[in-house]
Amino acid sequence: MIEYINNYVLVSIFVLLGLLLPVAALTLGRFLRPHRPTPEKGKPYESGVEPTGSSWVRYNVRYYLFALLFVIFDVETVFLYPWAVAYNQLGLFALVEVLIFIALLLIGLVYAWKKKVLTWT
Amino acid sequence: MDEAVKNVLDWNWGAMAPELVILGAATLMTILDLLLPAGRDRRPLAWLGLAGILVAAFLVWRNVQAEPTHILYDMYRVDDFANAFKLVFLAGAAFALLLAVADVGPGGEASSGEKAIRDRGEYFYLLLTGLLGAMMLASAADLIVLFVGLEVLALSSYILVALRRQYLPAVEGAFKYVVNGGIASAITLYGMSFLYGLTGSTNLLAVGEGLRDAYVSGNAYLVYVAFFFLVVGVAFKIAAAPFHMWAPDVYQGAPTPVTAFLAVVSKAAGFALLLRLLLTAFLGLANPLDGSPLLFSELNVYVGAVAAASMIIGNTVALRQTNVKRMMAYSSIAHAGYLLVPFASLTTMVFSQMMFYLVAYLFMTMGAFAVIQLVARDRGSEDLRAFAGLFRRSPLLALAMTLFLLSLAGLPLTAGFIGKFYLFLSAVGREMYALAAIMVLTSVVSFVYYFAVIRQMFLRTGEEGDPGVRVPPTVGTVIALSAAATVLLGLLPDPALDLLAHTFNFSEMFLPLAE
Repeated sequence: MIEYINNYVLVSIFVLLGLLLPVAALTLGRFLRPHRPTPEKGKPYESGVEPTGSSWVRYNVRYYLFALLFVIFDVETVFLYPWAVAYNQLGLFALVEVLIFIALLLIGLVYAWKKKVLTWT
Repeated sequence: MDEAVKNVLDWNWGAMAPELVILGAATLMTILDLLLPAGRDRRPLAWLGLAGILVAAFLVWRNVQAEPTHILYDMYRVDDFANAFKLVFLAGAAFALLLAVADVGPGGEASSGEKAIRDRGEYFYLLLTGLLGAMMLASAADLIVLFVGLEVLALSSYILVALRRQYLPAVEGAFKYVVNGGIASAITLYGMSFLYGLTGSTNLLAVGEGLRDAYVSGNAYLVYVAFFFLVVGVAFKIAAAPFHMWAPDVYQGAPTPVTAFLAVVSKAAGFALLLRLLLTAFLGLANPLDGSPLLFSELNVYVGAVAAASMIIGNTVALRQTNVKRMMAYSSIAHAGYLLVPFASLTTMVFSQMMFYLVAYLFMTMGAFAVIQLVARDRGSEDLRAFAGLFRRSPLLALAMTLFLLSLAGLPLTAGFIGKFYLFLSAVGREMYALAAIMVLTSVVSFVYYFAVIRQMFLRTGEEGDPGVRVPPTVGTVIALSAAATVLLGLLPDPALDLLAHTFNFSEMFLPLAE
């Protein structure tokens, strides 16, 4: 029981450290740096684009679908990489398994394609 | 060849054949749906799915005869507990598929208009993937496999509810279902994390062993916390009070075949999860002070409270409903309460009692939803008044509906009565008189709203000169089979009870199969 609670003490120390570090860094910076504000420096950073207009803009839902598709194939690589590294030890069974896995994902891609997710209009 | 690889191939993967058949059928249906031209009728896909279900049912039945087996060190168990539930799921999904065929067929609600379903391939194969998730859930004896099965079922259900995209109640119901389902999954997962944290294993049998040590070594209250989180998560899934609020909107918004699927397959899967997870993990747990088993003596009070709340809330709120599908949703909440009674009283008969009631519930609910689907598409309304004068228009349909409603209410000579009688006996047998009394009293209350439908059918007159309700053969099959089973189980329950007592060896569930 004590051991269990001790683990939470460790977690709370980590949380405190996590809070302390940025606060300390920013406060220290505030005292050390020179203070010469210009209008350009006050702007929010937005990839070099001048931020104009309301932030309540409509987002095209297709961005979201593309992101979803990307995540699927991103995860696929995560699974394929360890398999490729250990290919020689795993042999035929793992190869068949991975082929089934890729085939199922490909069906997903064909599905998205047929449902016109990949066309942008 | 390497040692580890040989082991992977050595497992008895053939035991998973039913699931693989369903997966294969669903994949094939997806590919065919993508290859078929857009305007082509998608209904042949449903027959493919039905064939898959029949083959899978045969394979499950073969597993019932065979010795229990396991894959990957008790991660996936094919025991009779799993097989019994799988047969219920397969029957429920087959019926839902038959109803869905008629739903998109000529004259069906989903064939045109505001309630049209354009994604008809999805309509059929998502029922199969949902079924696959439920089957995995029944067989899983590992927290991770259990959760994967749960999510496969849940994700398929979310999309199925949202299929009528132009129909506003469907969108509302689907959204509520996603949000509530997400919360339920998170709570279940949180409870599971406690189990893993206390025992260091995700295997349910190992968790059961480890919890004993955890309880004795002073982590008793964390064991309780895990139990309550898991009960809350499962209660969402089976729509038991006080976590039932999503059910009415979802049941109303979903296409009727999907509502039937949710009411039967999804709910039965919730009970499979409840029994497998909670019994395997918590049943061996005993109080170290007096040696009394914990689940029997302390925790069942809370399960009993959930059961009582479901019965009371479900049956009383159903009184005020005018939409038949909403009424059936509250009725299904009440039935979740009835089904929790044997789990609260927890005798050795819990499996056969619950399974018999689930089978009875399968037939009477499927039959009732089949009739509701026909009447709703005939009248274009799901209101209670749509049933007015049904006996004049279609006497057979009205009689069948009466039978299903009487069975749901639990009147003698029907399957529902026998089932409820056994649940009642289990509560009385363990001297939980309050629970038994609530069960009887709320059943009496439920007569009022079931009879409201019967009154509409027999005593009210519809418009003069109405033609009878057209019954497509698929829906007719569902109604006929359900009616026959409801009567048969009500008049001659003994063969079914014998089957449950002798052919299905439920105690296999607690048997460690890995050597």
